[in-house]
Amino acid sequence: MSAQIPNIEDTRELLKKNQIGIVGVGETEQGKIPGKSSFHFLSEASKLAIEDAGLNKSDVDGVITAFSLVEETFMHCTTFADYIGINPKYFESVAIGGATAVWMTAAAAMAINSGQAEVVLCVRGDNTLSGISSTGMIALIREMCHGEFEYPFGLTTPGGYALMAQRYLHESQGKREHLASVAVTMRQHAQMKENAMNKDDLTMDDIMGARLLASPLTKFDCSIISDGGAAFIVTTAAKAKELGLKRDPIYLHGMGQGFSHQYLTSCEDLDQIYGAIQKSGDKAFKTAGMSNQNVDITFLYDCFTITTLLELEGLGIVPRGQAGAAALEGRLHKDADIPLNTNGGLLSQAHLGAMHHVVEAVLQLRGEAGDRQVKDPNVALVHGNGGIVSAHSTILLGNEPLS
Amino acid sequence: MSEEKIEYAKPLPDFRPETKPFWEGTKQHKLLLPKCKDTGKVFFYPRAISPFPGSVNMDFDWVESTGKGKVWTYSVHYMGPTKAYKGETYVVAMVELEDGVKMMSNIVDCDPESVTIGMEVEVVFEDATEEVTFAKFKPVQ
Repeated sequence: MSAQIPNIEDTRELLKKNQIGIVGVGETEQGKIPGKSSFHFLSEASKLAIEDAGLNKSDVDGVITAFSLVEETFMHCTTFADYIGINPKYFESVAIGGATAVWMTAAAAMAINSGQAEVVLCVRGDNTLSGISSTGMIALIREMCHGEFEYPFGLTTPGGYALMAQRYLHESQGKREHLASVAVTMRQHAQMKENAMNKDDLTMDDIMGARLLASPLTKFDCSIISDGGAAFIVTTAAKAKELGLKRDPIYLHGMGQGFSHQYLTSCEDLDQIYGAIQKSGDKAFKTAGMSNQNVDITFLYDCFTITTLLELEGLGIVPRGQAGAAALEGRLHKDADIPLNTNGGLLSQAHLGAMHHVVEAVLQLRGEAGDRQVKDPNVALVHGNGGIVSAHSTILLGNEPLS
Repeated sequence: MSEEKIEYAKPLPDFRPETKPFWEGTKQHKLLLPKCKDTGKVFFYPRAISPFPGSVNMDFDWVESTGKGKVWTYSVHYMGPTKAYKGETYVVAMVELEDGVKMMSNIVDCDPESVTIGMEVEVVFEDATEEVTFAKFKPVQ
């Protein structure tokens, strides 16, 4: 028999056979927390996830980390493995910006599926707000811009998103209120989340009356900068049983990536962005054997209000050009038909990539989200976006094993 | 009184050697675009290898752009990335050139708040330092 090239169906079979899922989550305090290093937050988040799962630290044989904006290191994963005292069989630093947290889950699953590790700790933490230097902040502002052909024109990272927002409003005949309503809903959700940084009341009038930073965006359209850590642990149902873990896994049903461009100069049009988002989602849906109709709760990368709208449309959750109106009608509220980012998102809870989105998805599927609990969700979608809507990753999580 | 030129305080390009013809061009107030000898198509931003599907060509002609285009999208920046922008309101725009490529630049010589998507613009050159001249755009009168 001739060899076959592996495809999505094989991934699906492996996920089915191995019943891979998240068995522990941890989230440190989020906000302005001076006096704790990046590695302190990584440690604290890891401890919380290990304890939540009911694991012994020595059971962890895989370590996946990301990067730090404060303490830069070439080998982030092994630097942290050394620090926490884990000698991992598998180690990896995922560094794809905001697509990182979502892809950590997929990377852990791939490591487990290929026999490299059985219990994988995925962790990210940083003292971004308290620890970043002024040169570090400038580096962050210019990070997404081409150093030779974009940044010298005074383009900033918020400015890059503003360029996309302006084009989006032009094509969808939208208005600033469409963007602003995403921020208003995220704030309402953050007010229900104990561990959220920005909880002050925020109204449409507050946003419409605020100074523009980069038209059409105000500071309320931009995510916050925060200190904190978050972690989750990925393993198989069989291993969880063998170790006598406390928690039923929240199962990984599907995963996918999609790429549009790195620099906006390379972005032909909005179709290219929608295409990358769709590709990422389609691969995840195909692996899971489902469509967006099966999703009960959605977590999208809200580093800026605009990304949420592009992702809702790219994933086909709302028809093209209609996400702004959907947001303005309140449809993204936890009690409405498209409950989105019940943790308050990057706009109001905290900014640690989509780490908190993964954690909140697990809490929702466990039924442990307290006042924010959506009624009986079975499937959650989590989407991450790195760069200026450039690099996308999607996972689907379920409270039942993939069948 | 000193007649020395005021030092340019805003960010300058992080040059890569392979883009030299572009910056040599702007110094002479010419907007030159790299053209892939394999596909015959122009591209932007300049780089060492053709970005077109299937091509690994590293040999280019540098062709002069008409310098005319339209604003594809823009954002009025009320806050810049460094102190040198303090108090300044400026327009960052993606300009779609007639040649078929997009360029990030500034729209100058107009009220920043008068810029619109689809506005017709043409290139103007701004000498920033002895080494660097920027290709910027102004509305076509």
